[in-house]
Amino acid sequence: MAAIAVSALVVLAVALTNITFSYTLLALSLLMLIGGALRFKVLPNHPAVLDSVTLVAVFVIAGPWYAVAVSAFGYVAQLRQPSPMIKRIFNPSYRVLAAAGGGLAYAAAGGPVGDDVLNHIPATLFAAVAGTIGHQLTNALLVSLILWLEGQVRVADFLRSVIGPTFFPMLGYSALGVLLAVTWIGGLGIVACLLVVVPLIVARWAMSQYQAERAAQAAAMRAFIQVIETKDLYTRGHSERVSTGVGMLGRHLQLPEDRQQALEHAGLLHDVGKVGVPTSIIQKPGKLDDNEMDAIRLHPARGVELIGNIPFLEEVKSAVLHHHEKYDGTGYPAGLSGAHIPYFARIIGIVDAFDCLTSTRSYRPARSVEETLAILVKDKTTHFDPELVDAFVDVIRRQGWTAAAVDQPAPNGNVQISIDHDDLSLGSSGGATGSAAGPA
Amino acid sequence: MIPSNDAEVLETRRLSSAVVLAVAAGVVGLVAVILTARRGVTEWPFAVVFGLLIAIGEMVQFRAERGRNRAPIATSAALGYVMLRGPAVDVPPDVAQIVAVAGLATIAGILPRAVSGLPWDVVVSSRRVLSVACAAVTFTLITPAKLSWNGSWSHAMALTGAMLLAVLSAGIIDALVGAGQDTERYNRPFPAALRDELAIMGQIGLAMGISGMLLAAGTSLIGLWAVPLVVVPLLLTQFAFRRFASAQRTYRTTVRSMARSTEIAGFSSPGQNARTAQLAVALGNDLGLTPARMEALEYAALLSGVGQLALADPSPGGASLLRTREERQRAAAIGASVIERSGVLDHVAEIVRHSNDPYRQGRANNSDIPLESGIVNVALAYEQLVGEGSGQSADKAMESIGLGIGAEYDPVVVESLRRVIGRGFRF
Repeated sequence: MAAIAVSALVVLAVALTNITFSYTLLALSLLMLIGGALRFKVLPNHPAVLDSVTLVAVFVIAGPWYAVAVSAFGYVAQLRQPSPMIKRIFNPSYRVLAAAGGGLAYAAAGGPVGDDVLNHIPATLFAAVAGTIGHQLTNALLVSLILWLEGQVRVADFLRSVIGPTFFPMLGYSALGVLLAVTWIGGLGIVACLLVVVPLIVARWAMSQYQAERAAQAAAMRAFIQVIETKDLYTRGHSERVSTGVGMLGRHLQLPEDRQQALEHAGLLHDVGKVGVPTSIIQKPGKLDDNEMDAIRLHPARGVELIGNIPFLEEVKSAVLHHHEKYDGTGYPAGLSGAHIPYFARIIGIVDAFDCLTSTRSYRPARSVEETLAILVKDKTTHFDPELVDAFVDVIRRQGWTAAAVDQPAPNGNVQISIDHDDLSLGSSGGATGSAAGPA
Repeated sequence: MIPSNDAEVLETRRLSSAVVLAVAAGVVGLVAVILTARRGVTEWPFAVVFGLLIAIGEMVQFRAERGRNRAPIATSAALGYVMLRGPAVDVPPDVAQIVAVAGLATIAGILPRAVSGLPWDVVVSSRRVLSVACAAVTFTLITPAKLSWNGSWSHAMALTGAMLLAVLSAGIIDALVGAGQDTERYNRPFPAALRDELAIMGQIGLAMGISGMLLAAGTSLIGLWAVPLVVVPLLLTQFAFRRFASAQRTYRTTVRSMARSTEIAGFSSPGQNARTAQLAVALGNDLGLTPARMEALEYAALLSGVGQLALADPSPGGASLLRTREERQRAAAIGASVIERSGVLDHVAEIVRHSNDPYRQGRANNSDIPLESGIVNVALAYEQLVGEGSGQSADKAMESIGLGIGAEYDPVVVESLRRVIGRGFRF
């Protein structure tokens, strides 16, 4: 850390001896300030800044030394936010070093500077690309180094989830920086900023809006679950826990990002169809007759009916429809067996059963995690996909599990002796009797 | 049964302004092509490249939210072509050539979409041709021929000012046309429609206009090298915008599905929530609510019944008018608290909370209760009376709602309902 700060200071000092102080320097500092103010979030906890765009403009207008000299100004925009001293030193330092890295690349690529640019456009474009890549790489390298030293976030995760998706967009948006420089040199001067800042703001808006809209979408889905669970107070939280559980298993299975998200959505929504089962049946004490059982068997299809219009991956719908199938073909609604059961449905079936058993029901206490895992292993050839059970047991043993709070379903006269439909479908007798549901 | 579909049905019923626009754009374009054909085309390479850009932009148009299709790249390219100057361009294109290139390129861009069955929007394209013509006339009139990007500050500033005025004139013409269309399609008051159109112009419109200015300035300075420099960021932004639009679609359909859960549970009849929302949207349009408030209103109308899920058993036919007021208010309060827990639909929750409050005990004395609650209240009542199953005539329903004016229902909303029904609103 100290090494970074010291080397930044040295680079900055050398830069300051290579420039002349004039109104241009002031204007360029202002430019960097604007770039630094354009922050957005790549992921909820990973902010990014569009300062590489303005940095490229400074390379082209005044050359790398000026870029290094004004690079720290991008950080001024963030001074309003409270942050620890260590960050106050590190952030401007790595900006200076990253700018130096970019400047080095720009100069090495033979980039022209100032009025010269208008006569050497191809060379400028080539050097600008090199400069941006140099800046981005130095940037990524320094942040990775810090993350590695801190040891809280895995460097590979950071590279994959933050640098991966932003690298090419940043490179593309740096074209705006070149345009800014061209119009600046072409006579507009600092006024050119006004032209470029609008597309930059739009870019930031579009990039951050996506994150915001995804958050809104997730919230809408949670609200959906809240609505469904309004009806059935005593499985409250079940859907969210299943979603968490399938999420853990999905990460273990290393699903690609879009399928991982689809799986978590499917876990969240797997029981929405229960809203179509009459409350009198859901809350009925004791055994259910065949008609009532049929009503319960309808809930997966009802669920698909309900979410059918949401543009999910097809896998989400098939998972909701088949999450009560069993590996030996005795489940519902279609009686599918083995690998005919959709992959996501097999995953959800396991986590669904697991969460049900580790939750308190009024007619039986919660089982411990170990006890439940033993049940899953025992049933793994009849009910579940054996390989997925092994994977799930592995995940839970390694990462642990936060079961439903013991007092979760508020004791309530109406619901005390009704039996959870997930309990009913456990046990070896095929579901209609609920024998496994009784106190163990 | 989704409101937006019905809006499209309405649209086909009243094509008049669309026809006027398309004919106007067609005539202007044709005249421009004839004039250009007689005089000959100046600066071929620029005409071809900008024409291609417009065509490609038109091809990759997309639909944002509930609005019209947008083709930002086509608009920026067309505006950019309007404002070309030296040193790179020796003879700037004249008005006729600009309109001819924009018009022909637009047709070239639409054709592949039409052939492959993708949605396209003749109104948006016509509007673009007209507003580009307007920008071309403005720019040519106010820019002396001797101005060029020669590196001097005075020339550059004068050109930038002229470009800004040209772009603004195009934006204002487009906003006026758009507001007129909104008034016609959704029966929005013209001032409210114009306010919303100008707000859009200040955001997306400004961004497209400024991109056009950058394209023009850049091309005038460094020739066609500037084209990729503008187009690549525009493409990136459009790509981000598309992802945003698809996330938004998922969000919207999730809310709609959430609303349907009361139907599946038997608390409301099929389509009841959608019909209520459809009427609430019509009322909101008539009262000139802003787009943000319209959105919250639609969701609130859709979700106004979810609190019933906490009640033990469904009422027959979902007629919540049959329940006691206390029960309805309790259901509304439960619904509001459930919606509130989502964390993003706060305003919706507020509307739902008061959606069953009678006017006299509610909004008449408490200005904190939103107008939207009164709208949802009236929409719910009217739907109960006229909607499927109960099947009263519109006049009879209007009459019984009129009896509750001032006590049960907000007078402003009832007046609006009278107008909306009078214009022929049917479920």
